[in-house]
Parts: sequence; C-alpha cells; structure tokens
Amino acid sequence: MRSAPLPTAEQMPIASTDSEQEIMLQFENASLFYGAFRAVKDLNLPIKARSITAIIGPSGCGKSTLLRSINRMNDRVSGFRVAGRLMFDGENIYDTSIDSVELRRRIGMVFQKPNPFPQSIYSNVAFGPQLYERMPKKQLDDLVEASLRAAALWDDVKDKLHQSALGLSGGQQQRLCIARAIATQPEMLLMDEPCSALDPISTLKIEELMLELKRNYTIVIVTHNMQQASRASDTAVMMTMDDDRSGYVVEVSATEQLFTNPQNPITEAYVTGRFG
Amino acid sequence: MSADARDDIAARRTRAALRNPTARRRAHLVNLLATIVMSAAALLLVVVLFAVIFILLRAGLPAISWTFLTTGGTFFEEGGGIAPQIFVSLYMLVLSLLITTPLGVGAAIYLAEYAKPSRLTSAIRFSTEALSSVPSVVFGVFGAVVFLSYFQFGFSILSGALTLTLLNLPLMVRISEDAIRSVPASYREASLALGGTQWETIRKAVLPSAVPGIVTAMVLTGGRIIGETAPLILTTGTTISPNAQYSLNPLATGETLAVHIWVLKIVGVPGLTDANSVANGAAAVLLIMVLLLNIGAALFTSRLERRLRGTSGAPRASRRKKE
Repeated sequence: MRSAPLPTAEQMPIASTDSEQEIMLQFENASLFYGAFRAVKDLNLPIKARSITAIIGPSGCGKSTLLRSINRMNDRVSGFRVAGRLMFDGENIYDTSIDSVELRRRIGMVFQKPNPFPQSIYSNVAFGPQLYERMPKKQLDDLVEASLRAAALWDDVKDKLHQSALGLSGGQQQRLCIARAIATQPEMLLMDEPCSALDPISTLKIEELMLELKRNYTIVIVTHNMQQASRASDTAVMMTMDDDRSGYVVEVSATEQLFTNPQNPITEAYVTGRFG
Repeated sequence: MSADARDDIAARRTRAALRNPTARRRAHLVNLLATIVMSAAALLLVVVLFAVIFILLRAGLPAISWTFLTTGGTFFEEGGGIAPQIFVSLYMLVLSLLITTPLGVGAAIYLAEYAKPSRLTSAIRFSTEALSSVPSVVFGVFGAVVFLSYFQFGFSILSGALTLTLLNLPLMVRISEDAIRSVPASYREASLALGGTQWETIRKAVLPSAVPGIVTAMVLTGGRIIGETAPLILTTGTTISPNAQYSLNPLATGETLAVHIWVLKIVGVPGLTDANSVANGAAAVLLIMVLLLNIGAALFTSRLERRLRGTSGAPRASRRKKE
C-alpha cells in the first residue's frame, strides 16, 4: 500500500528529459490466444515510458486484445492465454504469482464508451483510492481535486461534485473516467478508442489532455482515427492480420516517420487510406 | 446489377398518394384496429384494478373504525377488531423477508456473477423453475412435515416464515438475478480496471444499480407473504392465543390477516353474527396494506434512481440499456 503524500496537479513529478527513454513495458516473444485461436502473434514490442504509443490497424487485427492484455482485463475471457512474456517493472505480469488486481491499480484503463458509475462525480473519482486505503476526508478531497484538475475537468464540475456523473456531457464523462483512472496514481494509462463516441471538439480536448498527461504517465492508445494517431502520439505501432486472422505488428516507428515515410507497403497503404 | 436491370426496377416505380391513400387500405385498417385492441387491453387492466379497489373498499370500509384497527376481537362478541392479525401479518412480512432476501440475493449474485455455465448451474436453474410452479399448499404440507414435526417448531410464526421463504425463493432469485445481469458490463470493467477485486466490484459497482430490481423482488415477495393462506394454515395456525397477542416470540402460534379472512368466511365462527362484515373490513385493510407496500417501494426506487441518475430530467430510457 502506497501512502506517499499526494501530489497536486502542479507538483506531480516532471519527466526526465533523457534522450535515452526508459522502457515501461516490453512484450517479449508474446502471442495472445483465445482458446486455440492465436489472436496476436510474435509480439516484440517495447513501450516507452512517459510517451504516447498509438496502436493502429484495421478492425479485427488484435489491437484491443493487445491493449487489454497489458492490464490483464482479458483474464475474464475464458480461454484467453498468453505465450511468451510481458515484462513490467522487472516482472512477467503473466507469472502465476502476479496479482492481477494490484497490477490493474498500477495500469489504469479508459474505455471506448465513457462508463462513469451512476454515482456522484466525487464518488466516481474517489472509487479507486477508497479501495486501497481509508484516508481522512480532507486528503481524499485533495486527491479528487488534483485528479479532476489533471483531467482538465475541475473548472467544469467544481460546483457540482455531488451531482450525478451521468448529467455530464459525453466528453466530460470521458474526462471524468480519465480523472477516475488517474486517482489511483497509476504508472500507465491504456486507452481503448477513447474518442470514438465523442464529437470533434471533445476529441480535441482529450488529445490535448493526453499531451499534458504524458509528462507523468505512459499512455498506450488504440485508435481508428489516423489524424488522432498522427497528432497525439510519439510512437506508432501498425498492426494487421495474416491469412489465418492472426494479428501481428507490421511496423513500429516514431509517429512522424510512420506517417510521412512508412517503411512497409502495408503501412503506407493503410495510412494513406487505400486499405483497411 | 446491370444498368438495364436498374432501369427496369426504376420503371416499375409507382407513386403512392400521400393524401387519403387508397393503396394498402387493409394494412392501414389493421394498424388502426391493433392500436384500438392494445389500448383497450391496457385500459381494461386499469378498470379491473379500480373495480377491485372500489368493491372491496365499499364492502369493507363501513366495518373499519379506530377500534377495529387497534383492538383484538373475541370469538363471542360482535365488532371483532383485527389488530393482532395485522401485527402477525407485519411480523410475518418482516421475518420472512429477513430470511428470503439475503438467501435469494446471495443465490442471484452467485448465478449472475460467479457461476460459469455448467451442469450445476443448469441444475440450480431447473430447480428454481420447478419450485416456482409448485402449488403453495404443497409447500404448506412440506413445511408441516419439516418445520413442525422434524425441527419441532410447532405451529409458529417461524414455521410459517420459513415455509413462505421456500415458496418465495424462486421468485426472489429470478428477479434479483435479472436485475444484477442487467447492470451494464461497463460498470464491472470500470471497477476491475481500477483494481477492484471481484467482490468489491459486485458490492460497489454492480449491486447499487441492481437495488431497484431487488426492491421489486421484495415487493412481490412481500405481497405474497401478506396474502398467502394455505401454507400458513398448515404451519402457523389459525388462532392467536389471547395471552400471546403482539408477541415477538417467533415460536408463538399466529394468524395472519389473510388467514383470518379465510377463517371468518369459510370456517365460520359460531355465534359471531357479524363475521361477514369483519371479513370484509379485514379484506379492505389487507388491500390497503398491499397498496401501501407497493406505493412505498415505488417512492423508494424512484428516489433512488433520481439520486443515481442525477437530475430528475435524466432520460429514463437509457436505464435498461446494456453496454
């Protein structure tokens, strides 16, 4: 249980500016299976710390499967298993002794459709922290405020913290879900097409927010929106699938390079809109 | 499709008259008829409900007075009050719900959240279905054998409450399970992704949204507890001992209001000339109790939903929407 003093939005640690970026997570010869079906194969993919990695590719190529394997959300799907290793903090997270509940506390997730609980805005943000520790009300208040500020939602909701979260607009709800995920102070944030249900203005707000958040968090985002991937990511991962419907990584590059000078013809066809 | 075929189809186009259409007259007629029939069925339902209320109240209200509601009757005098029976009915309601709700909701949580499709779960489902179609008097016979004789509880409120629990469990489980299953999967995912354990997820993310459904199950169960006669005649008895009136002892014999009506109407009480009017009064009181139970529950759930959903203007339509 971590009980370090809670940082406010302004005090949250600033990323080191080393050019040698630290690796937060690493797929090592990993394949992801549903029963006998190999959904994603031969993954060797490092995820850089405090940067945004976008995963793109046509529907059905295993992007979401890959994303959901990182916080072991797929454990709930019967028949799901992983071959190879997925290294996080020096451990293979699929090792039998790893506690998936504690892992999810350190790797937060934002879903495709905003899914706030039908409770007050405050309770939504306090949900995670309250699972781990009893903290004095003042401390919890501060954490809720810091999380909402970090998600750029504080000014919208500070006067109605105790009203239902379902009264918020879709974009606000999604930012609330981000605040809720941040409140558990994770190291990583996984985002599964977080803007697909939002209008363009809300989408831009979320993208601006992601660029703010990458100072402190490692973000992996799955997106179908090419503009979004090119605007709001540092590294892009192009995936596609084989004839046996098994997904695999085609190309991993700095985002700018992947979009302007793709090395693989499949990537080029996809990012120019001729395929997928 | 060739260009010829497209032209061919376009050539067959007919223009329907937008005003007073003559084409498809039959379809329009059936449509109108269907609207009338469905509305009439719904209206009939309301009429029946109000007729029941009206007739029962007209017959029963004259018998109801303050004394009628607050004192006990005797077998030999006119103007028998029903206060002890009201007490037994309410006691039975509370005791049986206290046993039924945790058991039923527990089983429902298991079926909805833990159970994987297996022979065990299909066996549980089958037993639930089968139990719910067993006539209530059969439960009475069973309760008499098990609770009265085997456990030696005798004719008692406890025996009756346990028998009614068996009778009501299938309903409780089924409705609660439905309520739990209709909680969107996205709430479970949200809680799990925040590092909640399965139980924390159920307790904090799933059950709060299932409460309105569980309350509905309790109301239906409660209505049956207040209204059942056959199983209670066989397990709780038809008399209240004059020295055990208003007793909270669960092993005391008792007579609920519904059973009291049955005794007055069917068995008859020799020498009591106004048995019929007492029975009518009791029936009216029973009806009012059930109505109050329903109204109370409806108020509770609508307040709860308002709190969960936020402002009162929140769209209700989205409530049942799954994931």
